[in-house]
Amino acid sequence: MLDTLIPLAVDGLASAALIFFVAVGLTLVFSVLRVLNVAHGSFYAIGAYVAASIGLWIASASLNPWLSFPALVFSAAIVAVLFGPLVERCLMRWTYGKSEAIQILVTFGLFLILEDLQRIVFGVRSLAEDTPMQLLGSTQIGGVVYLNYQLLLIALAVIVVLRLRILLTRTRIGRLVTAVVADREMAQSIGINTNRVFILSFSLGVFLAALGGALATPTAGAAPGLGAETMVLAFAVAAIGGLGQIEGAALAAIIVGLARVLAIYFAPSLDAVAPYIVMLVVLLVRPYGLFGQAATRRI
Amino acid sequence: MIRSAWMAALAVSFGTLAGFAFAQEKPAALGLGVLTFTSGPAAAYGMPGKNAAELMIDMINARGGIGGVPLKASYVDEAQGTQGVIAEYRRLAEDKGNQVMIAALSSANCLALAPLAEQMQAPTIGWNCDTHQLLLDGKSKYYFRPNGNTIPEFVAYALYLLQRKPDVKRIAIVNPDYAFGHDAALIFKTAMKALKPDVEVVAELFPKLGSANFQTEISKLSASRPDVVFSNLWGADLENFVRQAQPRGLFTSSQVVLALGETVLQRANLPEGVIVGVLGDGWWMSPDAKANAVTKAFVEAYEKRYGEYPVFPAIKMANAIIYMKAAYEAALKKSDGKWPSRDELADAMRGSTVKTLTGTTVTRKDNDGLVDQVVGVTAKSPDYKFPVIGGMVRYKGDTLMPPQGEDAIKWVGTLSPAFLAAQPKPGSYQ
Repeated sequence: MLDTLIPLAVDGLASAALIFFVAVGLTLVFSVLRVLNVAHGSFYAIGAYVAASIGLWIASASLNPWLSFPALVFSAAIVAVLFGPLVERCLMRWTYGKSEAIQILVTFGLFLILEDLQRIVFGVRSLAEDTPMQLLGSTQIGGVVYLNYQLLLIALAVIVVLRLRILLTRTRIGRLVTAVVADREMAQSIGINTNRVFILSFSLGVFLAALGGALATPTAGAAPGLGAETMVLAFAVAAIGGLGQIEGAALAAIIVGLARVLAIYFAPSLDAVAPYIVMLVVLLVRPYGLFGQAATRRI
Repeated sequence: MIRSAWMAALAVSFGTLAGFAFAQEKPAALGLGVLTFTSGPAAAYGMPGKNAAELMIDMINARGGIGGVPLKASYVDEAQGTQGVIAEYRRLAEDKGNQVMIAALSSANCLALAPLAEQMQAPTIGWNCDTHQLLLDGKSKYYFRPNGNTIPEFVAYALYLLQRKPDVKRIAIVNPDYAFGHDAALIFKTAMKALKPDVEVVAELFPKLGSANFQTEISKLSASRPDVVFSNLWGADLENFVRQAQPRGLFTSSQVVLALGETVLQRANLPEGVIVGVLGDGWWMSPDAKANAVTKAFVEAYEKRYGEYPVFPAIKMANAIIYMKAAYEAALKKSDGKWPSRDELADAMRGSTVKTLTGTTVTRKDNDGLVDQVVGVTAKSPDYKFPVIGGMVRYKGDTLMPPQGEDAIKWVGTLSPAFLAAQPKPGSYQ
């Protein structure tokens, strides 16, 4: 029994960790900007491409292979700095307060542009650099060999949840973000620079998505179509957790990860639909997600 | 009024006759519609096809084209979905300047385009249409598949596996979740059970096409303790599977069979001893390919232009263009140099035997091709940085094809250990 449960748990958590990074970025952006960013998955894909490119450069320049670890975070930071302020100021801000249909159309347009941009810059072949995975080796758990890199991802996801919670509750910028989330107009009226909060929050969301892509690169590489695939799953996770809920995204990622793993082990034909079955059931019972709350309609 | 109507009718008739006469004259260029994936996850497989088409067309044009007519291709990206592909196909096939269609990569698109080819009377070469469900009625006049189908392709792996590892019992399958993956699983399982009735399928997984993460599938496969892991994953999916499975010991705990493994030899670090093949005979380093001066020139030019050697989708595309060229030459010869109509071209394809870059393709009466199957195992090479295919066997295409009109899966189920014993042995193709 334990022989089955342990691999199930490890696989479920490892799967959850990768989904979590991108879903939490999506939910953070939604909570502050009130925009469901359909292009969020593209930042994941760009993060993956940039990380793979930098990793390949480190390998080709014969630099210390352990540099490939900070390079993953550095890649995500580059993407966030390049795209965060630019996209927020040039595009996203024009959608604030507009109908959901317009927001979705605008971000979908951005998604299409970014998909083509990836094709132009990185080509159509996949890119991969697996030094971090190779350096860490493997461990046998419950009779199954696991990559230590998978276990590292689980630990990193836990760290990100804790760091985000601390950022939002214990720091000045976090309190500013919380104030904007609670009441944007009131925050503005008491002198909070909401534009700055929007730029920072959006860039943090882009960073988290790109970090997810960068961390996936050593095992999964970067290939065309990655953004769309990731976005759909991230949306399901964010919806299950409740849009705008960080802990909700974490719990939902674990639930979706475990659902996928259970499907692969016991009902392989349900593998692809398992996350969406969970989403459907959760939303039928709790339309605002596990941690979401009904919004008061202002007249 | 009556006079005007007569004049109009005469003009239409003259126009039609002029058009007919024009169709029989040599055109300024021979238009081809070439359909493949140039974007999305399938581009990893489709782009080598497009690259090969461009190179092969350049090579033919450098020698004066076909019958003195240069080739000119219009490319269509299959990633837009079947409805878009149908619309593009229709647009190109309606243009009389495009006399041949080379379509398509995706079996789903091939199945959608085959009736359209008949309707539009457009000679069409399925350059990568593998599904055995194509051409089932045997009535196709314009749709041709010179590159073989899924039945011989996957039966060949069952034969090779049992010749190399006759004691295998526990089989696991991990194929992409669409028709190609499910068809391959069914054919491979049916062949294995027919050839060795005591085999047992211990895991059968169908991850979504385009998946990047196979860690859970690998855990499940490892936990199932299979003797053999068979997969027809391809493109970036296959690269990711290899990258994730190898450090987790799957390649050492089980005999892995990667049906499309040749496509990643130059990109993924495959260990030695993995059974791989080329879904046909399109291995650029096979003895037949090495003995062919045209192949040598093509491989060198491809490597020079694209920075890597042509994987088998590239060879399949090149062979499809050679097939078309051979049909034109045969039709021109038959009509004493008069430019052939579409019908005459299709007639030239039917029943033809064409020497390709890597062997021969014979077109049956049902327009299906008979192509040999080359299978082997990955092996180190002193000449290349990547593994090559060693221990090769070349199974005869006609022996692995169900007779025309017969239920293909039922035919696979009739294979016997005696059939296996009669096949050439691994390592015999040198």
